Amino acid sequence: MHTRFQILVTWSVLCILYSVLLTGCRGEDIVYPTIGTHVTDEVREGGLYVLCEGNMGSNKARLDYLNLYAGDYYANWYGAQNPKQIKELGDVGNDLQLYGGRLYAVINCSHKLEVMDHLSRHIGQVDIPNCRYVAFHGDKAYVSAYVGSIADPDMLGSVYEIDTATLSITREVKVGHQPDELCVVDDRLYVVNSGGYLTDRYDSTVSVIDLASFTEIQKIVVGLNPTRIRVDNRKHLWVCCQGNYKNIPPKVVIIGGPHIETPCANIAIQGSNAYVMDGENKRLRAFSTIDYSEQTQPIDISSYEHPYGLLATADALYITDAKNYVSSGVLHCYGYDGREHWTARTGDIPGHLCRIAEEYDLHGDTTPIQPSSPYISRVYEYLPAMGQFVNELPEYVEGDNAESMCRKCEQSIANNAGGMITLGGWGGYVTFGFDHAVQNLEGRDLQILGNAFYMTGSTEYGSSEPGIVLVSRDMNKNGLPDDPWYELKGCLYDDPTTDHAFTRTYTREGDTLQNPFHNHPYYPQWISEDQYTLSGAKLAPQTQVISGQNVQRILDYGYVDNKPNTDIEGTSFDISWAVDADGNPVSLPTIDFVRVYNASDEILGMTGELSTEVTGAIDLHINN
Amino acid sequence: MTKRLIVILLAALCAHAAYALGEAVLDTVSSDFRLDEVQVTARVLSKDIIVPQTLKGEELQRLSVLTVADALRYFSGVQLKDYGGVGGIKTINIRSMGSQHTAVYYNGIQLGNAQNGQVDLGRFSLDNIESVELYNGQKSDIFQSAREFGAAGNIYLTTRRPYFRAGERIHVRAQMRAGSFALANPALGVDLRLTESLSLTLDAEYLYSNGRYPFRYRRVLPTGETAYDTTAVRENGDINAVRAEMGLHHYYSNTGFWRLHVYNYWSNRGIPGAIVNNVWRNGERLTDRNTFVQAQWQDEWFNRWSTRVLFKYANDFTHYRNYDERLLPANNRYTQQEAYLSFANRLQVFNWWDMSLAYDYQYNALARENLLLDAAPEHFYRHSHWLSAATAFNFREYIRLQASVLMTAVDQNTPRVTPGVFLSYRPYPKIDLSINAFYKQSYRYPTFNDLYYTDLGNANLRPELARQHSVELAYRKAAKVYDLALSAAYYYNRVTDKIIAYPKGQQFRWTMLNLGTVKIHGVDLNADASWYLPLRFTLRTRLNYTFQQARDYTNPADTYYTHQIPYIPRHSGSFVLGFDWQSRRGDHYGFNYSFIYTGERYCQQENTVYNYVQPWYTHDLSLYGEWNIRRYWLKANLEINNLFGQDYEVIQNYPMPKQNVRCTLAFRY
Repeated sequence: MHTRFQILVTWSVLCILYSVLLTGCRGEDIVYPTIGTHVTDEVREGGLYVLCEGNMGSNKARLDYLNLYAGDYYANWYGAQNPKQIKELGDVGNDLQLYGGRLYAVINCSHKLEVMDHLSRHIGQVDIPNCRYVAFHGDKAYVSAYVGSIADPDMLGSVYEIDTATLSITREVKVGHQPDELCVVDDRLYVVNSGGYLTDRYDSTVSVIDLASFTEIQKIVVGLNPTRIRVDNRKHLWVCCQGNYKNIPPKVVIIGGPHIETPCANIAIQGSNAYVMDGENKRLRAFSTIDYSEQTQPIDISSYEHPYGLLATADALYITDAKNYVSSGVLHCYGYDGREHWTARTGDIPGHLCRIAEEYDLHGDTTPIQPSSPYISRVYEYLPAMGQFVNELPEYVEGDNAESMCRKCEQSIANNAGGMITLGGWGGYVTFGFDHAVQNLEGRDLQILGNAFYMTGSTEYGSSEPGIVLVSRDMNKNGLPDDPWYELKGCLYDDPTTDHAFTRTYTREGDTLQNPFHNHPYYPQWISEDQYTLSGAKLAPQTQVISGQNVQRILDYGYVDNKPNTDIEGTSFDISWAVDADGNPVSLPTIDFVRVYNASDEILGMTGELSTEVTGAIDLHINN
Repeated sequence: MTKRLIVILLAALCAHAAYALGEAVLDTVSSDFRLDEVQVTARVLSKDIIVPQTLKGEELQRLSVLTVADALRYFSGVQLKDYGGVGGIKTINIRSMGSQHTAVYYNGIQLGNAQNGQVDLGRFSLDNIESVELYNGQKSDIFQSAREFGAAGNIYLTTRRPYFRAGERIHVRAQMRAGSFALANPALGVDLRLTESLSLTLDAEYLYSNGRYPFRYRRVLPTGETAYDTTAVRENGDINAVRAEMGLHHYYSNTGFWRLHVYNYWSNRGIPGAIVNNVWRNGERLTDRNTFVQAQWQDEWFNRWSTRVLFKYANDFTHYRNYDERLLPANNRYTQQEAYLSFANRLQVFNWWDMSLAYDYQYNALARENLLLDAAPEHFYRHSHWLSAATAFNFREYIRLQASVLMTAVDQNTPRVTPGVFLSYRPYPKIDLSINAFYKQSYRYPTFNDLYYTDLGNANLRPELARQHSVELAYRKAAKVYDLALSAAYYYNRVTDKIIAYPKGQQFRWTMLNLGTVKIHGVDLNADASWYLPLRFTLRTRLNYTFQQARDYTNPADTYYTHQIPYIPRHSGSFVLGFDWQSRRGDHYGFNYSFIYTGERYCQQENTVYNYVQPWYTHDLSLYGEWNIRRYWLKANLEINNLFGQDYEVIQNYPMPKQNVRCTLAFRY
């Protein structure tokens, strides 16, 4: 009996061990591809790089990328882009900057400046012992480094000058103890000397380096243990001094200005505000760079475990919570109104943020595209209503289809070609886009050109063939205009004469010659179906006979082909006018597609129907 | 309070039951010290309530082990932290409670490290170690020093005792070991019989290795294409170490003896550091010296009363320097002193009832000097007192029960009381099958580092509390052709007030906080067998498996709440197969194969793909021959470790050696 018991026990032990071995074998160490986590539906241009420091010795410095356009957060973006980098990005990421189209990451305990293209693909590295922060001027990068020999009783640190073309160190200058952040103002480099290695004997100076001679020309005494230095819009320097964590409190020192007694774990300057992160009391304070007065600032970070990274951009504030420093942190995005837009889970100790503007196409995996063109780049759809110029502008030839008609439209109106297309009668439309998303910024965003003109001596009447503008964002990222449309509300939107739910079906049968001057089919010949239905809003007739001429009342704003192209404001549109189907305002940060349809429904004898013509469009935010 | 009450009630209840049972037999009383003179074999019924895991004698010598740390890998419930190489730090963690809950005893007296609370077991050579024993909970023997009731897990290292046959006056041992990475390890030992009852042992050992072992990092893309594959040589891992020991043993009567032991260890080593991107060499150096003198005296009166006195003085010195000018320069010197006195008594009230009372006192001092600054050395002191009371009942070999209460007072802190209850039930008189269980509380006191480390210390720390619940089924059988020992244990441990480093305020200033709760469910399975085959062949098998679910229950708001704590694999185990043939002359030839497995782990609190650490498993093989020529004994041993050259890491970014070889020639007279 006992023998049986023994056998049972022995076998069960063996079976457990065997099953463990079977499932517990070692696999290959795989470089995991990065997978985007969707964090927001709000669309902004470009993206945001997040450098997570990782703990010393863990080799877990991690560069993450947030595609702000798609709202997707990619963890370990660098690792995925550079799988062949031995031992990945490195140990303790300490600074991240974008300069001249390249990303520069300072990896402290890997003793290197990592140089990447804007997609974070490795270009090269510069070995700098115990490097801390980087700043730029001209074609040079400047890196502060704690390096100091143990034999050197002073253990002074250095600033290295690096040629960004050759990625080689060109010059070195000794500064104070354990230099940290640095910045360049008017050919001078300012670097804070923290003395971080000298507990109880912290440094308290800012070294001023003349960039031409690369020598230290001055040491400015600021406050104990300075770690951060930033320049404001008036070229004043803000220095965060940490004090000694005991009897000497931290403060912000403005060189040539006052001191502000506040803990200052981090600082960011945007416009005429300096945002100071008080990590001890977990609050974000704002101070005016004009008169240094404290501003009201609605963002609440009191629920953070350890507020850490900070970036202020024109439209948002990005703040990170490093949690307990040994687990993943959180990135928060706020509007300046204090509203939290979204959060994203990061790597360990998210410390350094870098906003990538829209000039880089980061949506794909390719190289940056050509600088954006302000003109239409593509026509996606063209469906005129029956009309006298249909099949002529652009010209239909046997064999054309919807696709080839779009290409013909492009030849006419894209890339500032200066041609013209007709939308035919009521409801006919064209859908076009640019080589980029049009941003919704202050004021008018987009000009759409037509062929309207004023009656001689009047700006109230003229030739106006109003078309309504719809806009859309590529929400599903398929590059096609199959997303919700929003109408840009013109001046007649709320007018009771406007019919917002009009539809009309055009049939091939109904295509009878109506105008002897245009002896050709009015029905779009490339359409195989014998009928098509259009729907939208219809404006009340505006035509009057003045001095024997048919003229239209020029509408105040908001319609295509209503005012002459020379009136830029009169032919331009603000994306902020967008409303949904129920008339509620919609906030669109950017748009990808524009649709114009003819909203007038008048036939004026020999001159034919009123028909919106489109001759081009211009993104007003792109300089040309 | 309630717990204490329960313990007292339980003890009272059992005492009452004992009376009811009437005559009861208590095995052994004064044999405590005699037992360790005799080889305890599997054939003797175990006297322990909690059966220790043991490696001793030949079995120990035949494993591919260099240090105590290597041997402990063969125990279940144990996780070894190994930073790689001969000089790399090796600490152990018993049942996931943390290495500071583990006490290590050298010949019965605890090895201390008041600075960081951890003992580097890589420093203890196995050359003069007779046995390594691991007790979960505590050694289930009430006659012990008060402090021994204090730790959650205990490792006892016992050095070889001199044994002289009639007429013998001197024994000499000489050994030379050499191997990969320029390992050179000569050792010399002499045993002298000064008088009939007084003997002297001398041991000395030198160890050198350049630590330059190759390692490899390889990563592949999900497609299978190699992302990178690089091989480098570990740098700055050299070690020079000298160990010298002296022991005096005097057995002046059947019951009384005293022992004196002097230990000295000196080493100078590089700390190879973490391998991270762009860093293949580090420049930290460590010099240290550990010296201690310990004495033990024990006697017995009236066959009922035993007394033991322990004394120890230790003086440890550590000098840490960082020569890597790229990093924070450091040149720190630490001097630790420890004085320890223990007075333990046991009274055998009846044959079936023992009581014990012990008091221990310890004084610790630490001097810290930063040689880069002109500051005066800082001094820290600590006085600790332990008072223990314990009782044991044995009822007709069926039920054995022990209960102990320990009061610990460290400096001005409120004294704390921790109970322990151990129970063993043996249902069948003729079958060595027992059900053993214990409940124990133990405190881990903050170390000097926890309390006073620059920027990091927190003088307000409370001790960390571990509560252990354990049930074990143990079975032994000795037959003509085999010896068998099987055991299965389930345990549930809860560690609260865990002392962890936590960022304070801003910018990487850390402090220590009582901020952690870990719940541990574990299963240990052991199967040990010797098979005596015909033609003087012996087969030894040893199998152990550990399952551990050690989860963080600190705060539900944490992202790692209920995640497995760092570096604790769910599955781990080992298998040893030894094959020995004895010739007619008494020579031995054989081989020993061992397999060690550690399952997947995470290197940080969050169990994510970024913190994942691969399982590792190594195959070690050793071949040996032992010859007896007249009064000389000669042994040759060849070890091949990590036979298949696995590139593995126990601690992330600390690569372990690939295949390596050691050979040993030993001589005894």
